[in-house]
Amino acid sequence: MRTDRVLYITTLSIALVLLAALPLMAAPTPSNQPTMPNCLDCHTCKNPTPEDMCLKPCPTLQAAHNTRKAKHGLSEAPDTMRLDEIADLYQPVDFNHKLHAGMAQMGNNCGTCHHFSPEGKIPPCKECHMPSGEETNLRQPGLKGAYHRQCLGCHREWSHDTKCVVCHLPTEGKKLAKGVDKTDIMGISHPKTEAPKTKVYTTPYKQGPIVTFHHDEHVDLFGLRCVDCHQKENCSYCHDLAKTVSSRKSMKEVHAVCSENCHATDNCAKCHGMSEKPAFVHAVTGWPLNRFHERLGCRSCHPTGKKIAKLNNECTSCHQNWKPGAFRHAVVGLTLDDTHLELDCESCHIDRKFGARPTCDSCHDDQRDFKKVPPGQYSSR
Amino acid sequence: MTLQRRDFFKIAAAGSAVLVAGKATASTESTSADFSDNFGVLVDTVACIGCRKCEWACNDQNHLPTQELKAFEDKSVFARHRRPDKSAYTVVNQYPDPDEPDKKFAIKVQCMHCNAPACASACIVGALEKQKEGPVTYDAWKCIGCRYCMVACPFQIPAYEYDNALDPVVRKCTFCYERITSEGKKPACVAICPNEALTFAKRGELIQLARERILAQPDKYEHHIYGEHEIGGTGWMYLAGAPFTTTELPTLTSEPIPPRTEKIQHAVFKGFVPPVALYGLLALGMYTFNERKKKVAREEDRHES
Repeated sequence: MRTDRVLYITTLSIALVLLAALPLMAAPTPSNQPTMPNCLDCHTCKNPTPEDMCLKPCPTLQAAHNTRKAKHGLSEAPDTMRLDEIADLYQPVDFNHKLHAGMAQMGNNCGTCHHFSPEGKIPPCKECHMPSGEETNLRQPGLKGAYHRQCLGCHREWSHDTKCVVCHLPTEGKKLAKGVDKTDIMGISHPKTEAPKTKVYTTPYKQGPIVTFHHDEHVDLFGLRCVDCHQKENCSYCHDLAKTVSSRKSMKEVHAVCSENCHATDNCAKCHGMSEKPAFVHAVTGWPLNRFHERLGCRSCHPTGKKIAKLNNECTSCHQNWKPGAFRHAVVGLTLDDTHLELDCESCHIDRKFGARPTCDSCHDDQRDFKKVPPGQYSSR
Repeated sequence: MTLQRRDFFKIAAAGSAVLVAGKATASTESTSADFSDNFGVLVDTVACIGCRKCEWACNDQNHLPTQELKAFEDKSVFARHRRPDKSAYTVVNQYPDPDEPDKKFAIKVQCMHCNAPACASACIVGALEKQKEGPVTYDAWKCIGCRYCMVACPFQIPAYEYDNALDPVVRKCTFCYERITSEGKKPACVAICPNEALTFAKRGELIQLARERILAQPDKYEHHIYGEHEIGGTGWMYLAGAPFTTTELPTLTSEPIPPRTEKIQHAVFKGFVPPVALYGLLALGMYTFNERKKKVAREEDRHES
């Protein structure tokens, strides 16, 4: 009886251990794990226990956990807000929310200011931050501190001015531009700026200190939006009135802007050189663009992914319906007659070099020119 | 006449011995106490925007001569480093960031309300006193105007009304003693601070809070809480984004000032032995001298007779 009991308990414990180990074995690699929020976002102590969770009064646990998931569209954002809860010594502030929400696209989106923005409605500051004198949490600024820190954190860096009148004056609401791409900051609320054409950087890399960046090329040719590259941007990089703040990006961060989604970093000489590099010409890839392709943006041919993949130089890899008989030759400006339509492409386009001038010589030895007399019209003459 | 004079010295010596003994016990009590329950203020100079609102609030609270609130937006005063004086218990000064000279950081200066205040130790009449709640208060009624406190203070805070010939008093930050103890409010400067660069709480909590702030942003803050250990700790403590040596806050050791000076003083008067010995020696000398005088007189008498 006693042995039975021992056996039973042993079996049970082994089963339990195995059960507990099961999810561990099946657990994905740490890199696949979603990033956990910082414990100190919600807890005031380092090692919370079920007895003493030392939770901060706000935000709720759920809100904090959802913060990183929540996405809020610009359309949800209010235009202007009047901050007048604590106005006693100074006039209330008319805060242009839309402008800031738009600009935040180049930073950390809504999270730039709304450090706890759960799914659904974003809680107003005063839901967590108490009016002065009623604060209960030393680690959480009161409402006055929260407002001022939120604004001054950036504005004091730009204007080098902390005069109250910078914010505490009635401001006239600025009208937003209409009919533009609302997902890009330049369209929505940022005043038009003159984008640089070419920027030449001198870097500490001795083997090739000069890096030439063709800004216009990236915008016009590659069709990139401002926010595609200008992410997690330091506002003061542009807005520092005294121009004292540098972008202060580390070498890794600077390279990441180019390399994160677009350029490979295996060959330094691709960007770094001893002198300025010319703008990109497609001919360097071994495929000079003809007059038709020249008009197209990169995305028309290289649509997939941000990284531009090398394409097969067969026309049919893009023009999949271009087969003898199915190709409407008229699109190139030269209409073929029925006789020529039946020919293989190589008959005129020697070695399928479609960029080179076609020849009539392989069939006709009277040096006829298809430009003067289109194919198929000689006989009728 | 001689007897009366001798009596006065006796009384004076006994009186001062009692006084010194009394003070000695008082100061040992305060230095050994745990100050974490005292009120304190953490000045986060990284958050300070140099708006000078605290200066106005202090003047207003303490009924000091002041200008209107808007006048304090004048930043031209930062051209020179000001010191607290008889008409301003606190001032904000500005320093260039050593890393980026174009950037400035501001630092508020006022009485530090030391755990072991040198001013209170130096005061011979007990006009300056470390309260159990933390503030170092001043009682003008007791003050005799010796200004020893001004010499003793390592932060050179107490100011004197030199222009008041009849009834001058020492002026310094009061830590809004009444306001924080009986009224349960924050000090006026802390209450007005728009950016909440000043945090008012118990000293122990503030040290914990300061450590958390440094830990959370180790690149932003100097890894030093000024006032945690300086001269035995101060009630007002500072966090900064640049070394404190670039500011006007003096570099100090963690050794409190009063014990050192008091040790010397007390050694001299220890157990009242040295004064007694001195007076004994004097008495012996006088006795021998008198004996000698009598002997000479007797011999002279003998010669005459």
